[in-house]
Amino acid sequence: MRKSIVLLAILALVAGYTFAGGYQVGLHGQKQIGMGLIGTSLSLDASSMFYNPGGLSFMKPSFSFAAGISPIRSFTTFTKTAPSAYNATTDNPLGTPFYFYGAAKITDKLSAGLAVNTPYGNSLSWGNSWDGRYLIQELSLRAIFFQPTLSYKINDMIAIGAGLVYATGKFDLTKALPVTGANGDGSVNLSGSTAELGFNAGVMVKPTEALSIGVDFRSKVMMDVEGADATFTVPASLAGNFPASNKVTTTLPLPANLDLGVSYQINEDLMIGLGLNYVFWSVYDSLIFDFETNTPALPDSRNPRQYDNKLIVRLGGEYTISDKLAVRAGGYYDPSPVNKEFFSPETPSLNNLGLTLGLSYMPVEKLSIDLSFLYIMGMEGERQYTPDNFGGTYESRVYIPGFGLTYNF
Amino acid sequence: MKKNFLSKYFPLLLMLLVVAACEPKVDEFKATPGSADFSKYVSLGNSLTAGYADGALYTSGQSYSYANIIAGQLAYAGGGDFVQPVVTNEDGLLAGKMKLGIATNCLGVSSLGPVPAGGSPTGLPGAVTPVGYAVNNFGVPGAKSYHLVAPGFGDPAGLFTVPQTANPYFVRFASSATTSVVADAMAANPTFFSLWIGNNDVLVYSTSGGAGDVITSQDLFTGALNGIINTMTAGGAKGVVANIPDVTSIPFFNTIPYNGLVLTEQAQVDALNQAYGSGLLGISFQLGQNPFVIADATSPNGVGIRQLKAGELVLLTLPQDSIRCGGWGSQKPIPGFYILDEAEVGAVKAATSGFNNTLKSLAESKGLAFVDANAFMAEAKSGLVYDGMKFSVTYVTGGIFSLDGVHLTPRGNAIVANHFIEAINEKYGATIPLVNVGDYPGIVFP
Repeated sequence: MRKSIVLLAILALVAGYTFAGGYQVGLHGQKQIGMGLIGTSLSLDASSMFYNPGGLSFMKPSFSFAAGISPIRSFTTFTKTAPSAYNATTDNPLGTPFYFYGAAKITDKLSAGLAVNTPYGNSLSWGNSWDGRYLIQELSLRAIFFQPTLSYKINDMIAIGAGLVYATGKFDLTKALPVTGANGDGSVNLSGSTAELGFNAGVMVKPTEALSIGVDFRSKVMMDVEGADATFTVPASLAGNFPASNKVTTTLPLPANLDLGVSYQINEDLMIGLGLNYVFWSVYDSLIFDFETNTPALPDSRNPRQYDNKLIVRLGGEYTISDKLAVRAGGYYDPSPVNKEFFSPETPSLNNLGLTLGLSYMPVEKLSIDLSFLYIMGMEGERQYTPDNFGGTYESRVYIPGFGLTYNF
Repeated sequence: MKKNFLSKYFPLLLMLLVVAACEPKVDEFKATPGSADFSKYVSLGNSLTAGYADGALYTSGQSYSYANIIAGQLAYAGGGDFVQPVVTNEDGLLAGKMKLGIATNCLGVSSLGPVPAGGSPTGLPGAVTPVGYAVNNFGVPGAKSYHLVAPGFGDPAGLFTVPQTANPYFVRFASSATTSVVADAMAANPTFFSLWIGNNDVLVYSTSGGAGDVITSQDLFTGALNGIINTMTAGGAKGVVANIPDVTSIPFFNTIPYNGLVLTEQAQVDALNQAYGSGLLGISFQLGQNPFVIADATSPNGVGIRQLKAGELVLLTLPQDSIRCGGWGSQKPIPGFYILDEAEVGAVKAATSGFNNTLKSLAESKGLAFVDANAFMAEAKSGLVYDGMKFSVTYVTGGIFSLDGVHLTPRGNAIVANHFIEAINEKYGATIPLVNVGDYPGIVFP
């Protein structure tokens, strides 16, 4: 009972967020975040359900609960293509991705649990009057994944696991329309929600006591939103061209991921790990808005995105100081999946360099207080959204402090 | 030792980072004048330069003149104040301003279209009251090339001569009764000038359907332009010159199609065919779109009436109710002064081409920046996109041309100003920032 109340309270906090390549978010465990977001080869606690369900049955305690949030403070700046004296900075709402994991060993070999987390999202506000307002003013994407998971340890060296993903998603997009009325620009707001299915499956291998190898695949989830609200605000004389309570159908693909992780316990105190994370972004070819009622001024809109598949390379480690304290550090390089010629300010995802720190403090044996900090530098780059002839230099900075609790017994 | 150090300072470091969160710094854009000096900029031209729009010269329209927009950007690189002969009347100096509104036609059908804006334009004689201060914007609505060098073009007495020898807009800011536009512009000691003139040399002829004016001769044009440019550069000023866009591409000539006579009933078709001798006059009708019938004294059938041909242009000023309810274009021929026929279109294009050769070679010989406004017009015909806004030369919805179908909207002016700035940057190695087109208003819908 108490747990479900806590879960609801966390859900209520959720806003959108963005930080990783595209609109993928990797904040699913404070310990993993502290180590450059590696996790595929680790079996630390119930968070394995997301990173590699195979690892869950390698966890030592009989019960494991983990919960955390990672408030995102992000800034993207835009400087218009020279010569121009124009620049703008996003005023993004604070994003709060969260996770909750609960798992139990049913037998020594079989474990089960439920993961609830937020692997995709975007929360963006460029303001109403900025120069790219006809492309985007505000966007909020939120996906919450519910993943019941089973994991089976075949022997002491190999374990497998899989989870069914029930993904709920919401989006809300506002942009200006280039039609001028007495009160200035017109605008359109699109908002809707959906729920879809996917899966997450992984294998964990421990050839030696110190070495651990993991492979995990998370399926794509096509978020098909049908009958979303399309609300137009236009001058009265144009109302016939933009039906007031129109509907729109669109699809936002949440890409598949193939992860490979290797970690090695160098000595009693020090562990290091490497993660390779291949994201199948090419599924995001176009963003299509299919309006229920079309008019000559309002055809369906097909917006090229042409994302590319990308490999993220991660490196991290953990140093155990005492029974009560462990510290972590890591980093990664996450190249932008966004095509440079089709770079919309709606998802201003640059080549990201992430640096992380983390620590866990265990006041008692069963409880761990987990903190992390992730700093992401979105490297300055010139980008265009060619179809709208809008371009300039983008740069971003993201600061994500994270707080979590792990309770094992 | 190491463990102790880490356990002491690591948590502290973590907290410090959380506090340090801040946005990336953006470098301010640094504009440079290159080899030009923008400290005293003057603009010469006609209604386009003055900021005329929607059929009138009015306060906010002037503030969006391309010359004023350019001056605002030159200020980033040493440009000084830019004074315009401000009309303190949003309803217009002279009557004629239009707005978008709902108009009901002779068939009782209401639709969105240009309607008189009303209000209280200043009107004559108040409109010719001198502003009493020196200006930088020498754009004079109605001016042709040779008007800029004509002494007395600002003489109040010349407003009442027949033919009129003065221009009411120049009377407002001419320094004396005998001065010329170019003389006053030079008296301002400009370090930099822009010149966009010659449009009216073909446009006035065109907007009168080839009936109420003559196209300036090539010799007169060349002489006038030599005079203007030689004078303006005599003191060492640098500048930018724009050529003349093909006026036959503007909405004024392209909104009513040559075959805009729509017949929906066979009885109408039969009656018209019979009335015109069942094809004997080379005039025939069918269901759907038909070429309008116009008056043409030189028509091949010898009766002074013929149907329009593709490529011939109908003026925006053609009274549409006369088509709908008065039998114009079907039972009665449309008067020739509402039509720019094949020969007239050819004359306009030929003159424009000749004028543009003169403008380009003069700009080159004097080392001035050159704006190919004609090329821009050709691009606009196939559509333009800036920052998510789509533009075309379509009347009203195209967004470039104001409600008079000839002059520009504020956004149209911003696009033109950017072309001037690009030409200046290229010629003089300057880095004047462009404006955001979206910062300026479009056509306002009710």
